Amino acid sequence: MAEGLAQALDEMARQDVDVLVLGREGNARFVSEATRLWLAGTRPFAPGCVVVRETGAVHLLSVTDFGVPAEIPPARLYPMSWNPANIMGAVAAIPGVSGAQRIAADGLTPLFEQLFTATFPNAQLADGEAVMRAARRVKSAAAIERIRAAISVAEGALGAAVEALRPGVREVELKGVFEERMCRLGTTTPAFEGAFCVVDGDRRIRRLVSERVIAAGDLVAMSAGVLLDGWEGSLARTRPCGGPTADQRDRGSRWRGEWTQLVDRCRSGVLVGDLRATAGASLRGVGLGYEGLEDGAALEPGMVIQLELEANGVLGGDTLLIGDGGADMLTAFPYGAAGE
Amino acid sequence: MSDDLDLARMRRERHRKVVDALDAQGLAAAVLLGQPALTYAVGARAPAADVARAAHQRMIAIVTADGDAPHLYTAFPEGVPSELPADHAHAALPVEWPEGAEALVEVLPDGPIALDEYTMPLHAALHGREVADASALLSTCKIVKTADELECIRRAQAINEEALLAVEPLVAPGVSGIELSGVFLRRIFELGASANTVDPIWQVMPRRVADGPYSATSDVVFPTPTTNRQFAAGDVIWVDTGIDYEGYASDFGCTFVVGGPETRHFDQAARWREIVDRALDVLKPGATAGDLVRAATTDEGRRPWLPHLYLAHGIGTNSAEMPLVGTDLGDEFDDALVLAPGMVLVFEPIAWDDGNAGFRAEEIVAVTDDGYERLSARDGGPRG
Repeated sequence: MAEGLAQALDEMARQDVDVLVLGREGNARFVSEATRLWLAGTRPFAPGCVVVRETGAVHLLSVTDFGVPAEIPPARLYPMSWNPANIMGAVAAIPGVSGAQRIAADGLTPLFEQLFTATFPNAQLADGEAVMRAARRVKSAAAIERIRAAISVAEGALGAAVEALRPGVREVELKGVFEERMCRLGTTTPAFEGAFCVVDGDRRIRRLVSERVIAAGDLVAMSAGVLLDGWEGSLARTRPCGGPTADQRDRGSRWRGEWTQLVDRCRSGVLVGDLRATAGASLRGVGLGYEGLEDGAALEPGMVIQLELEANGVLGGDTLLIGDGGADMLTAFPYGAAGE
Repeated sequence: MSDDLDLARMRRERHRKVVDALDAQGLAAAVLLGQPALTYAVGARAPAADVARAAHQRMIAIVTADGDAPHLYTAFPEGVPSELPADHAHAALPVEWPEGAEALVEVLPDGPIALDEYTMPLHAALHGREVADASALLSTCKIVKTADELECIRRAQAINEEALLAVEPLVAPGVSGIELSGVFLRRIFELGASANTVDPIWQVMPRRVADGPYSATSDVVFPTPTTNRQFAAGDVIWVDTGIDYEGYASDFGCTFVVGGPETRHFDQAARWREIVDRALDVLKPGATAGDLVRAATTDEGRRPWLPHLYLAHGIGTNSAEMPLVGTDLGDEFDDALVLAPGMVLVFEPIAWDDGNAGFRAEEIVAVTDDGYERLSARDGGPRG
């Protein structure tokens, strides 16, 4: 059985969930290990994947087995339809679903809520995202290797963007350079379209790239990531265009000081909310893409987190593996001139 | 490109349509969590991202029936439209968590609302409220485009088509789709695309459906994700790319033949052209989707398009939206769908020769007062 599926089934048992209905692709991929077409942006909920606790089986919305592991035979695929009632009908026909007491979904629309209620009048509807969040939180050794591989691609692609940072280049072009190199290194899917944004002093750093032409002496914040077989590798660095000025060196060294303190605090048992209370700090889980972490969660061994700090007009971020005590840095990209 | 694009006017006209639709349906507000709906109603921008990240960093809009400017909650202040009053742009609400969901419910006006999607904590927080599905409401607003919207689609399509020009010379034996994606993605950003919204597709087609992969519909399987499979001479490749400009999608489809097309490939393309032309011949205001379906259906009664997709689909802030033509929603649905000026159709039938693969391309037209105009400029080949 796929590792992720076993973890999800354990969590379903713990939360007393009979059937899990997943619309979010990262969740579906975690239990199925299937590769379906990557799309950007929010998607309204639709039942793209179903896990039945009684049978331990994964069922997928797909007209083909392309990208679907052999453990999921064609009999466990249900086809796409423009009529949501047909999709709900296909879900209801899955062995073990009709008798479910508790069905958990990772999202809903008003229409699918109605269909759920009409199709399963006696079942209770639960939070499937909470089930998946718990199942995905602590990473296996294999998962950590996949994340390391993704980071390697992200670092290579960021290296190309740093190389391309010259006076006269536009922000959007750096994004293009990153994505081109990402493809050359083996994946066509970004974790998100990166920020390659000129920093304006102490103002908040933009995350939407623009057509702005970068000039000598500009400081440029770069935050980017890739998905390699669905697993995320991301990082952020800030680089000057040309040699760093005295002010940029000063900003960089102040950032490094705050960063070192923040990273030192990332230890097993520390609350996520306490780390987020640091001005400019952000923190989330990393796995098959972005993973939500609530403020009340405590860091624990095996969690992989993305930590970012925006301070003094400098943005930097790394991926950390929480250990028994402190954290191991999975990213290894040099901090460079702004942080010397 | 035409210079006649006024984004503020476009946003104003779209907002007015949503307000009018709310009023007509007796709703107090539309609460929008999905990017395509929010882009339509407000015009705010956020970086494109994988689904989970997009969900966690989602923007939220509240559009009220009183016609007041919408309220926008976003983590990306640089993406807020310039005309939105400062006291209507707010920090993001983290509706993945109960606190954020409850904070959103706190600021909603009284009365029935329409919502496009729930997070599970929002579903819990809205328990007991009257909530309609906003997708139908948005659909009625979105289906007819303004002149500015048509111009955005035209520009998105022009960028998409021009980026393909950089890719075409590279198609050769030994090259893989991943390499083509790299060149394509770099080029679209250089050309001013706002985002890439779908993993570019360069699918090597089997000669016969029976050659696989498995198909639940017993018909051609398309699209499948890009792999590092190297192209071989004679491979037929179906291309499908989609990029955004100011929130508007484009959709470019064409067929490559590695090493160059031969007579049979041109014959297939000619058959595809005939299918689209038969549909275009009947396309005018007042025609129904059913009329297009009947015109495109072959004399033998075969529907030359993928059975799980459509003969044609609309396009806008969603890559596929109403009008949907020839889907599994059925004849009754198609016959009830009356086409009107300002509606956009992306035709994507296929011309399949089992044993010799087939041809697929896409063509975008907008319905005009007396017929249609093309929004896509380049034909789909065959190229190579």
